[in-house]
Amino acid sequence: MSVPQYRKVAALALVAGLGLSLTACSTKSDDDGSDAAGKVTITVDCQPVAAQKELLDNWNADVAEFQKQNPDIVIKSISVGQQCNNPPDFTARLAGGTTTDVFYGYMTDLQQVLDSGQAMDITPYVNKDTVSTWDSVDPALKEVFTDGGKLYGVPVKNYSMGLVYNKTLFQKAGLDVNNPPKTWAEVREAAKKISAADKSVAGYAEYSAGNTGGWHFTSLLYSQGGRVLSEDGKKAAFNSAEGKQVLQNLKDMRYGDDSMGSRQLLQWGDLLTNAAAGKVGMFIGAPDTTQAIVSQFKGKFEDWAVAPLPGQSDLGKGTLGGGEGYFFKKDLTKEQVEAGLKWIAYQKLTPGKGQFDYVRAKPQNYPVGLPQPLLFANGSEAQKQEFDLRKANANVPVENFALFENKQLPIVGEPRDAQAIYAILDSAMSGVLTDPKANVDTLLKTAEEKVNQLLAAGS
Amino acid sequence: MTAPAPVKAEAGVSPKSRRKIRDNLTGHAFLIGAVLCFALFMWYPMIRGLVMSFQRTRRGVTTWVGWDNYLRIIDDPSFWVAWKNTFYFTGLALIVGFAVPFFVAIVLNEFRHAKGYLRVLVYLPVMLPPASALFLFKYYAYDPSEAGLFNAILTFLHLPTSEWMQSPTMTMPAMVLASTWMNMGGAVLIYLASLQNISGDLYEAAELDGAGIWKRIWHVTIPQTRLILALLAMMQIVATMQLFIEPLILANGAGTQDSATSVAYLIYQHGFFQNDLNGAAALGVIMLVVLAAFSAVYLRLSTKD
Amino acid sequence: MTRTLISHAQLRRGRGRVIYWTLLTVVVVGFTLVFLGPLYWMVTGALKSGQEIAQTPPTLFPQDPQPQNYVDAWTQLDLAKLLFNTFYYAAGAVLFQLVFDTAAAYALSKLRPAFGNVILGAMLATLMIPAMVLIVPQYQTVIDLPVLNLSLIDSPFAIWLPMVANAFNIFLLKRFFDSIPEEIMAAAFVDGATPLRTLWSIILPMSRPILGVVSIFAVTAVWKDFLWPLLVMPHPETRTISVGIYAFAAGTPQNVVVAASVIAALPTVVIFLIFQRNIMSGLTAGSLKG
Repeated sequence: MSVPQYRKVAALALVAGLGLSLTACSTKSDDDGSDAAGKVTITVDCQPVAAQKELLDNWNADVAEFQKQNPDIVIKSISVGQQCNNPPDFTARLAGGTTTDVFYGYMTDLQQVLDSGQAMDITPYVNKDTVSTWDSVDPALKEVFTDGGKLYGVPVKNYSMGLVYNKTLFQKAGLDVNNPPKTWAEVREAAKKISAADKSVAGYAEYSAGNTGGWHFTSLLYSQGGRVLSEDGKKAAFNSAEGKQVLQNLKDMRYGDDSMGSRQLLQWGDLLTNAAAGKVGMFIGAPDTTQAIVSQFKGKFEDWAVAPLPGQSDLGKGTLGGGEGYFFKKDLTKEQVEAGLKWIAYQKLTPGKGQFDYVRAKPQNYPVGLPQPLLFANGSEAQKQEFDLRKANANVPVENFALFENKQLPIVGEPRDAQAIYAILDSAMSGVLTDPKANVDTLLKTAEEKVNQLLAAGS
Repeated sequence: MTAPAPVKAEAGVSPKSRRKIRDNLTGHAFLIGAVLCFALFMWYPMIRGLVMSFQRTRRGVTTWVGWDNYLRIIDDPSFWVAWKNTFYFTGLALIVGFAVPFFVAIVLNEFRHAKGYLRVLVYLPVMLPPASALFLFKYYAYDPSEAGLFNAILTFLHLPTSEWMQSPTMTMPAMVLASTWMNMGGAVLIYLASLQNISGDLYEAAELDGAGIWKRIWHVTIPQTRLILALLAMMQIVATMQLFIEPLILANGAGTQDSATSVAYLIYQHGFFQNDLNGAAALGVIMLVVLAAFSAVYLRLSTKD
Repeated sequence: MTRTLISHAQLRRGRGRVIYWTLLTVVVVGFTLVFLGPLYWMVTGALKSGQEIAQTPPTLFPQDPQPQNYVDAWTQLDLAKLLFNTFYYAAGAVLFQLVFDTAAAYALSKLRPAFGNVILGAMLATLMIPAMVLIVPQYQTVIDLPVLNLSLIDSPFAIWLPMVANAFNIFLLKRFFDSIPEEIMAAAFVDGATPLRTLWSIILPMSRPILGVVSIFAVTAVWKDFLWPLLVMPHPETRTISVGIYAFAAGTPQNVVVAASVIAALPTVVIFLIFQRNIMSGLTAGSLKG
């Protein structure tokens, strides 16, 4: 290249580069959400990803319909990934102040959201007039999003865990699909039979990475009657007989019977991928994991049934409950908060609409009829409506979930600093699932030290 | 930014010093862009990191807490494990990732055929996005069942199989293997270039003195490439001490029983999982001190003789 | 050709020749297996179904190819967007580094303003500081730039500007400029050329090799970087390819993740294969001079 030509190219590149970066800048505007025409714009996250095609279509249809009903409101949907709250991304968004105006979070996120100073007190805005079903919403769920008497979030989903099992694999192993295991000893027996019938199948599968190990440990612990933290929340309480029993059960299945498969260090999607491929006999989870197996991982929902969480001597003494909600970003205008609430009320809290639009979901490849989400209080008006609609439009055999629905175990919430504690407990779970020589006592003791230290740091 | 800054002529200043001022200003005008970037993203964060490590921020309120963050970080049972793992990885990567490329380069340099092909092959993995290469290892190569590539090969050869990332003892070697495969191309190229600069006369003379191949490598090749070897060793150590993406993807972070936890991952975990940026900053300062001490010792040793 | 460790004569005769050809064959076959084998496994593995992947022993060829995995990867992960982002960041990084670092190196090498050495020293001191050490305070800085109170999160400048603060590049460039004789500069100044003009029409054209090296380094750095874009580009629309694949891996079937990894690797591998001669010679020549 001769010199003048070279310079021309360089100059062109410079201009092009700067031009591009300027346009890139201008797409980021921090306006107050209302334009000259008086329209209010709000950004909302947790739009389904493209992989969940029908869910995404439903969401987009909801947005279109909502905007038609409310011509002054513009909803900008943002999809943040398969898991709407991947803890490090969530932390980064909070710390960077880049959350959407109305943002998704787990029930366990309240403390972190408050620490970041990103959430708004929405107490004055939320009532029966802005959210018509508000009085039907389970008060326990409202409590989860309340701190110091102030409400910071709106619950939109609630789950509790049970034993999810594959009926086809049960039949193959000669097990009675209508009489799933009620105790961990029975789970162990069943897992052994399932793995014996097909060597490539894990009779029982369990998480041990990406915080999901700690999450399931917590549920298993609740089934034993144990707790993660002491009553006052200041000390770890899982290094107990119950905690040891949890790990011992897993160790016996993994190395005593070899009925948990050789693939470990699983996290959320890994286990569900295996389950969808027909390689998992049982695991613990909420009924909606079967939805993920079907819609994201291409499994078949007629395979799956859910039973109450087993316990040591009888059914579980308790089960883990959790859920999701939406927070409102600080500094929103009054109009934006109202618009956001209206959207959530429409899409998440109205029987027959949005997530409860069972008529629309029935013909889709998406299970309807699951006893989920347990959003409305028992006996409330909205709960009855939702229940009738669900029964009328169920597209899965309701009996697959009857056992679970008919025997509600006491629900225990997640501990404070849940995600950080789960990260620590992952290593106890991975220890017992990958090391035949792992010492249950040592694993729990190390985890206990770490958690105590974490709690001391947080206070 | 490239236009020479205008200068006001000041009374009582000689033309010569005025010219000098103008030249200085021109020089600084050329520097300003880079200096600002250094100031914002290097010098200021250094100070900020140090300050942060003695503070604590909760609900928007920042307080001074003395050595609390450091004490908490050191008390973390993962702290020493992370250092042990990081040193282990660095050492193993030094043996494998440093010696292997050197010998590959020596061998390649002897070939008169297929040299270009081999060079491209070695460099090819460097071109993959790191996440691509690591998912390949994670899902296919290191699958702990016998459906995994490595285990299938081992079974085929009637060798014992391994659980790879699930085995606390294999975690580190497996990460070193993946990391070396991914990254050795760059080092091989640099060695090849420096090997080509060795004068043939030196080998000729050594051969006449009766030196065999190994003796020639020891007495000619290594001394002649010593500077580049020392430089690359240093760079590699600093790079491997920051081990992060390998544990994150291959071992889902901590691996089994903390067998993959590295210091860098611990920084990430404190900062972004445990919502403890101050603790993470303290750990960063500790890492800096360790690396600085190491560099000082290394420089001292390598300049001594 | 210059002589290397073993003399030509020895390799051409009798036993030496046999050993040479045996070794060459072993190395060529071995390297092909070691470096191309995994890539083959990746491309074909992504064509297998979930059941086939879990099969023992694994199949050498996909029995029932599922090209759908590649289609799913392309659409579900929005790879076009991710690839565009990555190239956009890389191009900007090259541009910013070339403009600011070249100007700075030129000033330090030729214009030598007062305190130039102090500044150079302060820059070189950062060579010793690994990125990981500063990740938290740098992140805090990007969230809230001092004085300006701007947040660069999700803005490409969060990648471009910190990359300018690269002491190694300034050092490389300065070394190269130092080797350009003073007389050339002096002659230009006598002709009345401004420093900018001298840089533009005399120094830069002579420095093409080193500019090429700096550009390759910049592209590679953006391509390989992971944690920094993971932190400063949290929005799915702004992610880089590596971060994007990682972010979607947790909830996507494994074969689709691997298919995405293959597609992600394609552009650079193709570019590399086309320009490998230039890239190789540029890299080796440049890094030796530095």
